Amino acid sequence: MGGKSKARFKLSLIALLALSFTLSGCGGNNKTNSESKGNTATATAAANSDSSKVEPFDISVFIGQAGQQPTPDNKIYKKIKDELGATFNYEYLAGDLNQKLGVMIAGQDYPDVMTGNTKLTAAGAYIPLEDLIEQHAPNLKAHYADYWNMMKDPNDGHIYILPNYGVYNGKVNSTYYSGPAFWIQKAILKEFGYPKVKTLDEYFDLIAKYKEKYPTIDGSPTIGFEILNNDWRNWGLFNAPQHLIGHPNDGGVVVKDGVAEIFADKDYAKQYYQKLNEANELGLIDKETFVQNYDQYMAKLSSGTVLGMFDQHWNFGAAEDSLKTQKKDERTYVGLPLVFDTNTKDYYRDLPVLNLNNGFGISVNAKDPVKIIKLLDALMAEDWQKTLAWGIQGEDYEVNEKGRFIRTQEQRDNAVDSTWILANKAKTIVDFAPKLEGSYSDGNSTGADSQIEEYQAGLKPYDKEILDAYGFNSYVDFFSEPPANPVYYPAWSIDLVEGSEAKVVNTKLNDLSTKFLPKAILAEPAEFDSAWSEYVAQIGKVNVKAYEDKINEQIKWRIDKWSK
Amino acid sequence: MGTEQVSPQKTAGIVMKKRIGSNGIEPVLFNTFNTIFMIILVTVTLYPFLNTIAVSLNAGNDTIRGGIYLWPRQWTMQNYKAVFASGTIYDAFWISVARTVISTLLNIFLTTMLAYTLSRKEYVFRKSITVIFVLTMYFSAGLIPGYFLIKQLHLLNTFWVYVIPSMLSAFNMIVIRTYIGTLPESLIESAKIDGAGDFKIFMRIIFPLCKPVLATIALFVAVGAWNSWFDAFLYTSSKQELSTLQYELMKLLSSTMNSNSNPNVAAGIGMKENSALSLVTPISIRAAVTIVASVPILCVYPFLQKYFVVGLNVGSVKE
Amino acid sequence: MDETLARKKVVRHPKKPKKQPITWSIIKSQNQLIWMSVPLLFYIILFAYVPVWGWTMAFQNYRPGRPFSEQKWVGFDQFKFLLTDDNFLRVLRNTLAMGLINMILGFVTAIVLALLLNEIRKVFWKRTVQTISYLPHFLSWIIVTGIVATSLSINDGIINIVLMKLHLIREPILWLSEGKYFWGIVGASHVWKEVGWNTIIYLAAIASIDPALYEAAEIDGANRYKKMAFVTLPGIKATIVILLIMSVGHVLEAGFEVQYLLGNGLVVDWSETIDIFVLKYGIAQGNYSLATAGGIFKTVVSITLLLLANWTAKRLGEERLL
Repeated sequence: MGGKSKARFKLSLIALLALSFTLSGCGGNNKTNSESKGNTATATAAANSDSSKVEPFDISVFIGQAGQQPTPDNKIYKKIKDELGATFNYEYLAGDLNQKLGVMIAGQDYPDVMTGNTKLTAAGAYIPLEDLIEQHAPNLKAHYADYWNMMKDPNDGHIYILPNYGVYNGKVNSTYYSGPAFWIQKAILKEFGYPKVKTLDEYFDLIAKYKEKYPTIDGSPTIGFEILNNDWRNWGLFNAPQHLIGHPNDGGVVVKDGVAEIFADKDYAKQYYQKLNEANELGLIDKETFVQNYDQYMAKLSSGTVLGMFDQHWNFGAAEDSLKTQKKDERTYVGLPLVFDTNTKDYYRDLPVLNLNNGFGISVNAKDPVKIIKLLDALMAEDWQKTLAWGIQGEDYEVNEKGRFIRTQEQRDNAVDSTWILANKAKTIVDFAPKLEGSYSDGNSTGADSQIEEYQAGLKPYDKEILDAYGFNSYVDFFSEPPANPVYYPAWSIDLVEGSEAKVVNTKLNDLSTKFLPKAILAEPAEFDSAWSEYVAQIGKVNVKAYEDKINEQIKWRIDKWSK
Repeated sequence: MGTEQVSPQKTAGIVMKKRIGSNGIEPVLFNTFNTIFMIILVTVTLYPFLNTIAVSLNAGNDTIRGGIYLWPRQWTMQNYKAVFASGTIYDAFWISVARTVISTLLNIFLTTMLAYTLSRKEYVFRKSITVIFVLTMYFSAGLIPGYFLIKQLHLLNTFWVYVIPSMLSAFNMIVIRTYIGTLPESLIESAKIDGAGDFKIFMRIIFPLCKPVLATIALFVAVGAWNSWFDAFLYTSSKQELSTLQYELMKLLSSTMNSNSNPNVAAGIGMKENSALSLVTPISIRAAVTIVASVPILCVYPFLQKYFVVGLNVGSVKE
Repeated sequence: MDETLARKKVVRHPKKPKKQPITWSIIKSQNQLIWMSVPLLFYIILFAYVPVWGWTMAFQNYRPGRPFSEQKWVGFDQFKFLLTDDNFLRVLRNTLAMGLINMILGFVTAIVLALLLNEIRKVFWKRTVQTISYLPHFLSWIIVTGIVATSLSINDGIINIVLMKLHLIREPILWLSEGKYFWGIVGASHVWKEVGWNTIIYLAAIASIDPALYEAAEIDGANRYKKMAFVTLPGIKATIVILLIMSVGHVLEAGFEVQYLLGNGLVVDWSETIDIFVLKYGIAQGNYSLATAGGIFKTVVSITLLLLANWTAKRLGEERLL
């Protein structure tokens, strides 16, 4: 892989650019068409609004993720149909997304609306939305005003996708941390008098002490630490080093002063893996850890015998639910933002970032884009947002004398019953359409989960005890208040571009880490250094520069375009 | 063709009821060994299925702990309720039945007909047609060209896309041809002397004689048609009323997996709601889905099985 | 007895048809055969051969959604990427090894099971055993590998428990952490899942053996094993040989699912197959060209192996495929 492939890479970039120009040209044509159509549509709509008749119409939607068809008599969709005229025909993905997209793109068979995907963008499957929003969607325009530049496609500067998450309004209530951390069983904190755990060394000391004191839990051997690296769930092994030096989650790179470099082969990475090597020598790491699949990992966590691991919270939520049902609340976990030394400030928790990758986009095949954008705009109105997020007042939630939204236990149970959801919630719209996040103008949270009353109603006595001991309101308080995100942030959302060398290199780096890190961690301590050098040597053979260059190019672009 | 083996005069693989030579302890030993072996085999192969049933009847929230073997720990019908909750699988079931029946009948007829012609040594195109068919087993043009073909034939979003592209299989054809090769040539020769044409010979003589192998092929085709979801995924996914049972179950399973572990969905603030779905977890839904999907086809099995396990009694084959 | 059968064989050996020129009169006399097969020939050409134009993708840097005329031609670059990758030889070795192991184990176990089932006298028991043995075929690989992984665990895995009880090992073995066990585990999993299913085709062949032959053999005083060797096996030999030839061509189809599901970082040198490689560096990268190139490579190897097997069978005077 020398200069030649790089030249080819450049060539394909040029080709891509050329393509995107042609496409934007086409988009332009479409736009003018739709504009003229749009004008007439507005006119008719205006004329119709007097008679307050809504014209029924269908929208076909492709969702690039699995999902379930709502029931035909779903109450929210019925309301949408009655009041706004729209019927949604969903097609959910089941099977491999890449295969499905391959044939969709090849055949140019697109429905009206599709969730965002870089392959579709690259193929010119979406129409630009800037003018549509300007002219027909005041709510959306206001909603995205602060994020406008960030929504633009890095390749041609058009907006194709309406981000579904990461646009915040009003006060953001956060009661639940779903991101990465070193997790530790609550029982350990209690056992040792609620210590403040800051560093990696303190963390492993606690685990070692606890394991020594309790070699078994409920009759099964105690497991000190788990590292999950199964298929695409690889962050348990890969991601910790960047956080330990006080860096937020940037995926495979660390960005210093606007310049990104991979960290897999750096000294601080070595420091971490050497620590794991030592922990393994002490018998703290599960022998099976690199062999297990996700189900086995979850089984161990739900048995309550695992003292700690590095993971993202959402990845093991089901295990915690199981522990709670087993009444083993003390075996659920607290996330700790560990660093190498106490001088480093932790930066695990970040401010929410714009999700550019899977909101709705309108396809080039859509017959009437204006109608679609108007519909999405209408759904952005606060009343509709409340209906979508909370449901119907008196049925799905109540309002107390202070004007706060609350739910009865029955309503809470309904909200988590998948069968009930199919008939009573427009889940797909809630998940993928543009939405208010944070709080409404009346101060209520935009979702039951972040409503503080709802959170406290669900808090167990055991959790109250721990939070009181630390003087915290919720477990989120274990993490430092995040600073404003760097302009470029996060690097993990950078599109490496299909078929580029950067993408190939990324895959190769992952392969190498998957293969060599377990070897190094399991090696005899005396042999750790040689195992590590072998790993570093292998990385040296890969064209890391192509990968870093691509990311840096995009970071520069973002700093350029996104700075206000 | 059929050069080596001893061709049977009659195609009657009836079970031999006679006890074989009472020469001492050997038969007893053999039978004991054989029975023990079969018991082990049955245990080992029955286990995964029983385990799947047990998991499907166990609370998802509990299954996640592992350790479910042959008996559920916390009985529940929750998983099956979740499978049957969406009304779509009932229509999909009938689509699946229709495609399976039509595919099987068409396949059996066409494949056997072709196999018969290619078993005729005097047929001038025998070799070339055989080669052309056999090679199809070893290449595939790929997803995208295949999709273009289906699109150009206007088969997208039609029922026939389930049937037409898979009406014939080279593998099955070869299996049947090999079988026909073991039938006595004299049967065909005498029919020819009586003035029967090839089509008549095929319909009257070959077809009925092929029952054991046709039962096998019917099983292969039926199971294949019943289990396939890829064509629904590629070609009819935007038309709900054409969805098949397997595809509906596949969708259900993927959505359960998705809602349990989706970084994008979970990235929203305060995302606790999703995890509550873990009343039904992917492991338990997968188990229930497997049982629901395989029971109908397993019910068909005994009817086909008798032809190849017990052997058939065609009576007088020789005219 | 052997001689009787051998003699019968010779007697029944049909004459090899002579190569005949294609004339109108032959075509006319065979018009029924032609009507019964040529339309199906057109059918298969349409559905299997016409789409092969797609192989041009392997010589392009194919981007879906662009018209054919705008695709970029890159010659053999995709093949070069595939064949010169550091990992390619390893991946090829793994594919061949697992393909061969699966094939041989698959054949031997299915035939042995068919023979043993054939020895069961009670029809009910025979049907029961047969039905149960093919049940795992209906389970997906993800379920089967889940059970395999649990059984091989060092915590309460049944395999380690049994081996410890039998004193064959002193302490539990972490089976999935060592490359040397991996191929065997994959092979055994295949047998477990598919042996019953694979047996069906042989049972059908056995069902068609003339009972008179068994009776004749019995009169000749043949015991159970002789009958197996001289009646049953020859009776299904044609099926065995044909299936064997066909599967030699499929030896590169070692699959990816099992390896993907059971593999991990520690055994990656033994577990990765061509299919996994192509999936990772082809489809997942949006590089359909590489995926096509991988497919062409496999086809070339497959057909070569197939012809080789067919030729060998011909030389040995066995049943042939072509």
